[in-house]
Amino acid sequence: MAAARLLLSAISKVFPGVKALDAVSFDLLPAEIHALCGENGAGKSTLMNILSGNLQPDEGEIFLHGEKVVLANPLSAQNQGISIVHQEKSLVGNLSIAENIFTENYPVKTGGFIDFPELYSRTQKLLQTLNITSLDPRTKVESLSSTRQQIVEIAKALAKNPKILILDEPTAAMTADETETLFRILRELRQKGTSVIYISHRLTEIFEIADRLTVLRDGKYQGTFPVADMTIKSIIRLMVGRDLEEQTYTSQQQKNILLSIKNLCGHKFHNITFELRAGEILALAGLVGAGRSEVARAIMGIDPAEKGEIWVQGKKVIIRNPPDAIRYGIGYVPENRKEQGIFPEMTLADNIAVTSLSSLARKGFIQNNQVFSPVQKLVEKLQIKTPSIQQKMINLSGGNQQKALLGRWLMLDPSVLIVDEPTQGVDVGAKAEIYQLLRALAAKGTAILLISSELPEVLALSDRVLVLYNGTLTGELSREEATESEILHYASGLARHSP
Amino acid sequence: MNTPGIAKLLQERVFTLSLTLVILVGVCSLIWPDTFLTFSNLSTLLLNISTDSVVVIGMMILLISGTFDLSVGSVYALSGGLAAYLAYNYGMFTPVAILVGLGVAVLIGFINGLLITKVGINPLIQTLATLGIVRGIFDLMGKVATLPEGFDALGTSRLMGIQTPFWVMISLVIIFSILVSRHVFFRRYYYIGGNEKAARLSGIPVNRLKVWGFMLSAFLAGVAGILFVSRMGAVPDTLGKGLELKIITAAILGGASLLGGQGKITGAFLGVIFIHLISNILVFARVSGQWTDIIFGIILVLAISLDIFLKKNAEIRLTESLRNIYQQPKP
Repeated sequence: MAAARLLLSAISKVFPGVKALDAVSFDLLPAEIHALCGENGAGKSTLMNILSGNLQPDEGEIFLHGEKVVLANPLSAQNQGISIVHQEKSLVGNLSIAENIFTENYPVKTGGFIDFPELYSRTQKLLQTLNITSLDPRTKVESLSSTRQQIVEIAKALAKNPKILILDEPTAAMTADETETLFRILRELRQKGTSVIYISHRLTEIFEIADRLTVLRDGKYQGTFPVADMTIKSIIRLMVGRDLEEQTYTSQQQKNILLSIKNLCGHKFHNITFELRAGEILALAGLVGAGRSEVARAIMGIDPAEKGEIWVQGKKVIIRNPPDAIRYGIGYVPENRKEQGIFPEMTLADNIAVTSLSSLARKGFIQNNQVFSPVQKLVEKLQIKTPSIQQKMINLSGGNQQKALLGRWLMLDPSVLIVDEPTQGVDVGAKAEIYQLLRALAAKGTAILLISSELPEVLALSDRVLVLYNGTLTGELSREEATESEILHYASGLARHSP
Repeated sequence: MNTPGIAKLLQERVFTLSLTLVILVGVCSLIWPDTFLTFSNLSTLLLNISTDSVVVIGMMILLISGTFDLSVGSVYALSGGLAAYLAYNYGMFTPVAILVGLGVAVLIGFINGLLITKVGINPLIQTLATLGIVRGIFDLMGKVATLPEGFDALGTSRLMGIQTPFWVMISLVIIFSILVSRHVFFRRYYYIGGNEKAARLSGIPVNRLKVWGFMLSAFLAGVAGILFVSRMGAVPDTLGKGLELKIITAAILGGASLLGGQGKITGAFLGVIFIHLISNILVFARVSGQWTDIIFGIILVLAISLDIFLKKNAEIRLTESLRNIYQQPKP
């Protein structure tokens, strides 16, 4: 075995009262893709923060190419050849791709003036090495899709010529196609000798891309294994410390139609027609940008449709804004929790009560105890982990935030619930709990419209799958017919198979 | 366990401001034992506080919802000036003149709100433009040197020895602090300030509430302007000039954040008291008037810095305690 490029030996990090990392060791070989797995709170971020110079370990040593180093701050980590692509976007929207990539080291002419021709040609070269020629370095970042932005993020990290590249949840918002592009880039980097540390909640990806994997649980090292020796089940057992209950599927679909959409047309979708029955989980699949969320937003009255009809429980209704939709018993858990879902600085109780303020109030006045008891019950039912319901939302983990967003609608007991990417950036444990929750809702008779870019999720949950391509419905698949390749087939706009 | 409790209390702006006020009053009554804590000084102080406190209520509600109104000073002037002008020049029945003044204020607030929510003009730009336009209309209008009989009664009549503006202020502050903390209608402003997109998706009629907010803010500025004119018995040219700065400073001192989602009416009220107390002290200390703004500016920066410092400390402690919870071994 080749000598390790990076070796972390018995790293411990103690935050007062808790050992975030307990004698964790980790080694990274030259030209390998090494996956780091663990639930939220397992210590992955602490470890990556130590590697990128944001935090200092209390105990343990770091060796780079066999030499002991101290990564005193992010700059020193960069100078030693370690670059990190964080989960949070670090790009400035109204600056060009080139300016974003070279933020910290603009090429300059005498007098400190920016050498724009040089800047653009360097960017072009960099993008070429990533095999991306379709991007103009002058394009403003805000006009790019989120995947393209992610690629710019990676280019930015690569501009520093790192020996070690750390990627934290890079595919959280990507579709299968886009993930494939990213993987191609990563494989090429590996071929050129770059070592990659890859963090993802999507375990299937690890099998596709990684050579080895290391598992952390509760700050403790669980072992490093060649990916070929592992299965998803064995990884989960190491991450969670137990087997997750097998999820069994039984259809809860009933006869009565709760929501019926007829020839709905909007800015980004045309002639959408479907019916949603009580107890049914109907998935709306398709690539990002296919118009899935737009359909949901039209049903909810956020961006009302231009043409077409919406029928709720057999009655034609007109929905002009979200309050209208809520009145008709429709709820919506939006994608992108941070931006559209949570009230970060408000309490968990406030976050859950927002939809039902008027019904919780007496004569318009609302007191904490009126809110607290129903919220408390819900928090227990959903198993939201929090010291108190008066905890600020921002301090909860992603999975718990997502459960709270579902709870917000459960307070109203809607007859139709639209969930848009309900498990984005959520760890496996919480994911399983959210699946169970959605199934339980369906069993109670709620009709669920599921929008998801994760095909395994679509296949696991739904009774029926509708596929959108470029704003039109291209296919409908029953649970029995639906497979990943079948969905992808329609999602890429190909015509129906001839039998 | 004691320290986090105190730290939490220190984060509560109503508490820190009250404490500061008590200390300030205590120190001043020691320095000027014969003149500071007298009825005449305190009642002048309270009277000065009254009109600004009425304006700050509306500003606080806007700040909670994540926006603000720079035009309050101009609306204050136009409302008060117009009511006096109509009553004096056209002999309009005083209550009617006052209603017209208030009506114009509400209309200006409505226009502000509409252009901001429907057309999408940035509130800074919109209310800055309104500030200029409304100030210009006020300047064009003829000025009134003496008020008709009855008009000044509003500002100068007394109940239990204290003038009416004080009672108006006290009732409005009490009513609105209860409404804003307890009533569903106002509770929604915290959600809008907390995350406007999420609020809209949760079914809160964001635009409508914002328009109401601007109307309320302009209405209260109008009420304050009329009270002030009636108390002074005249319409000075500089009426309400620079008011927005004083009001926003008071609200920020009182715990509002420009990001929205935070603040209480009592905090804003204490902020106004604080600012006027400082002015009062500067008069006692014979500091020239030009220094006032400089000192306000410094106080504002110091208060915000302290705030950021306390928050950072609290956050570090919080993450630690949370880690404790999440890191407990799973069953």
